[in-house]
Amino acid sequence: MRRLTRNFVAICSTLALTAGLAACGSGSDEAGGAGDTIVAETAFNLKTIDPHRQFEFTGSTIDSAIYQTALEFEDGDLTKPTDGLCSFEMSEDSKEMTLTLKDEDAKFSNGDPVTADDIVFSFERLQGIKGNPSFFLDGVKVKKVDDKTVTLTSAEPNPALPYILPNSSIGIVNSKVVKENEGTTDEKDGAEQFLNENSQGSGPYKVEKYDADSQVVLTANEHYNGPEPKYKRVVLRNVSAETQLTDIQSGQAQVAYDLNADQAKQIDESMGKISSLPSTRSLYIFNNADEKIGGPAADPNFRKAVMAAIDYDKLIDLAGKGSQRMASLVPNEFVGAVPKDEAPERDLEKAKKLLKEAGYDGEKVPFHYSSDQAVNGVDLAQLAETLQAQLKEAGINLDLKPAPSSTQLDGFRSAKQPMGIGTWGADFPDPTNYNVFIPGGDVADRVNWSEDPKLKKLADEAAKAKGDARDAAYAKLFKATTDTAVWIPLVQPVSTVAVGSSIEKFVSNADISFDFAKAE
Amino acid sequence: MAEATTAPHDTDVASASGEADAAQRVRPPKLHPLLRFILIRIGISLILIWGVTVVTFLLTNLVPTDPVAAILGDRAAADPEIVAQTREKLGLDQPLLVQYFTYLGNLLQGDLGVSNQTRTPVLASIGQVFPASIELGIGAILISVILGLLLGLLSALKQNSLVDHAIRTLSLIGISAPTFWIATVAYFVFFFRLRVVPGAGRLDPWITPPPKVTGLYTLDSLLAGQMATFANALGHLILPSCVLALFTIGLLTRFSRSSVLDIIRLDYVTAAKAKGLPARTVVFKYIFRGALVPIITVVGLAFGSLLSGAVLTETVFAWNGLGQYAYRGATTLDLPVIMGVGLVIGIVYILVNFIVDLIYGFVDPRVRVR
Repeated sequence: MRRLTRNFVAICSTLALTAGLAACGSGSDEAGGAGDTIVAETAFNLKTIDPHRQFEFTGSTIDSAIYQTALEFEDGDLTKPTDGLCSFEMSEDSKEMTLTLKDEDAKFSNGDPVTADDIVFSFERLQGIKGNPSFFLDGVKVKKVDDKTVTLTSAEPNPALPYILPNSSIGIVNSKVVKENEGTTDEKDGAEQFLNENSQGSGPYKVEKYDADSQVVLTANEHYNGPEPKYKRVVLRNVSAETQLTDIQSGQAQVAYDLNADQAKQIDESMGKISSLPSTRSLYIFNNADEKIGGPAADPNFRKAVMAAIDYDKLIDLAGKGSQRMASLVPNEFVGAVPKDEAPERDLEKAKKLLKEAGYDGEKVPFHYSSDQAVNGVDLAQLAETLQAQLKEAGINLDLKPAPSSTQLDGFRSAKQPMGIGTWGADFPDPTNYNVFIPGGDVADRVNWSEDPKLKKLADEAAKAKGDARDAAYAKLFKATTDTAVWIPLVQPVSTVAVGSSIEKFVSNADISFDFAKAE
Repeated sequence: MAEATTAPHDTDVASASGEADAAQRVRPPKLHPLLRFILIRIGISLILIWGVTVVTFLLTNLVPTDPVAAILGDRAAADPEIVAQTREKLGLDQPLLVQYFTYLGNLLQGDLGVSNQTRTPVLASIGQVFPASIELGIGAILISVILGLLLGLLSALKQNSLVDHAIRTLSLIGISAPTFWIATVAYFVFFFRLRVVPGAGRLDPWITPPPKVTGLYTLDSLLAGQMATFANALGHLILPSCVLALFTIGLLTRFSRSSVLDIIRLDYVTAAKAKGLPARTVVFKYIFRGALVPIITVVGLAFGSLLSGAVLTETVFAWNGLGQYAYRGATTLDLPVIMGVGLVIGIVYILVNFIVDLIYGFVDPRVRVR
């Protein structure tokens, strides 16, 4: 019996010794030091890094480092589109944009120069392959004028175009190489796989290894015409938010994208810095305007009662430091945003009075949301439970209907949900991106909201407005939209990027959450 | 006497025995019981695999939602042309039966389809992630078997002692503690605080994986002679393996304890002790061997479970294995991935059970005779 105990102790010691030896060995690095590598972590939603197909955060983060775009945002200011690979000029009627290739010797990662043909091919491929981001250039005719000039012509005024072109989904690819690898400008295009493994951009990095499930490795593009990045290698890993926190604290990773407000508080100065940026996401409640589907939610008085029953300050607490009130679905930093001080306020008495006028007698209203989704750290399940408790105080009974995101999205799109939580991430920072929420728009169709003459008139006026008047006209349109309470803006969450203490200088802004090429 | 009575009918006997010989010549030779046993198990396994294809296909397609919704963005989903094109591209415009037979036909050619989300072949992706789960599963099962059996044996032999109570309590904690919590705490303590193990992932981020032979980084780095990479891979393997093993250690400890206690009271063990055999011989040759058959069942099931992916452990340790791949497929409604993983997990269980059955056959002759 003693022998058995001794054997047991011996085995345990052997296991512990193996662990110790392995742990000692873990510090070495056969492939060179970690000094020129930057490790960034995020929970992947990666589908592809083909720029003309990608439409998710992870793909966009990677493509921003690989591809240059015709236009950019000046220092990340989303209200100021400026020159990228091209300078631009917009016609008086906003129907024609002229892009002129700049003489800056931009070169792709194989050394080929960037030409007007590459720009035309990239735009036409984006349009023709009918991918998720194809709508960016809907109705735009692309034409090469000469070796330096390309025109983009729209049948209707398209003042949003300068705000659209900086999107990484409209990255400029090496047309010659892409065409050689089954790239076309129609649905027959077969270059996605090739582009996933062999990026064809002129940005500071190129792809070294692509694995959509675990990690993507980038290396410096030696032909990049900008300043040489200090970090020659970028490893973007698929890691859960909980592990990201420990990795930033320990120095295992230098950038973490998914920390929520509570986790961000745990990073002290010795461990790193937190870059809090206003996100381009909006969280809102949707109400179905069809009485047969929406039930009480179709009644404007009920909807306004819901709006008056919400405690918005508590929602800000839930979303964390840096999140903001919203007076419409348009983020506060965009042209056309309604000033924050006009955001709805809580007024329980008003809510109860409106409920009485609506004839609501406390019946349960199904309330749908994605139970597995967090938007910039705001857990939608937690948000739904908070709203349920707040509305209960006014006498409104929500029947929570959680579902996985894909199921929830399907239900919302089929316009069969009476009420719920919706999220919208800006495709481009212009108020026209929010026209989908006014009657006649795709998203308005999902709540069976088909007409509102007042809003139509305001939308027509906004479409014709220019300069400062444009900002005011859209703000008026979206304030009037909020007043209908079909959409109840809840909160604009904050986008948090945690940067490890080993990085002393970095650029982080609303356009590019973290610029790998400028990190030092 | 029998010969005397049969003598007058020699001719008949000869004729009858000739027929019997002929019959024996025609009848196929009788299979060895073990071989017959193996062939039957293979047949049953193949039927089960076909059953798994039916179940995974049906269950996946019965989900009351549209996978196209999960693929397309808000704006693209509003364009009927793009929706129809996507549906056609994925074959979702075909009747369910046609879809199943297409799936089965492709399956027979080793084609598990292409991920709706990433457009990468499911088989290639599984080939990429499965070795990670195998490596983790082997690590965990080795730790579990060694510690679980020894603790169970020790606990049984010292029944009702302090050691027994301590082991039983620990095993209960191992079984009941939530894996996600244990994993997070273990990562924080052993990596962040104590720094005795490396961080998440299968290798440090700046280390290039060894040339792929098996996909198991520890083995591949040894084959490539990259000892530093081997040590790094082994270091990364230890903590997730231990965390994953906690449940199976608890399970095996309790199971082997009860199994040993059943055997220890039998007469042949008392007889062995009475004969004055050394304690070591009694424990390992009489008690432990007798208790082994039910333990093999549990080890087999636990190994199957470990191989088929551990979503939570893999998530915390950024271990890109089958569990994470399956989770991602499920949350994005990626039907080919869900079906592919379902099939692989089904095959893993069938294979492990098949091997367990074979081991029964070797360990216990009664099984193969039956």
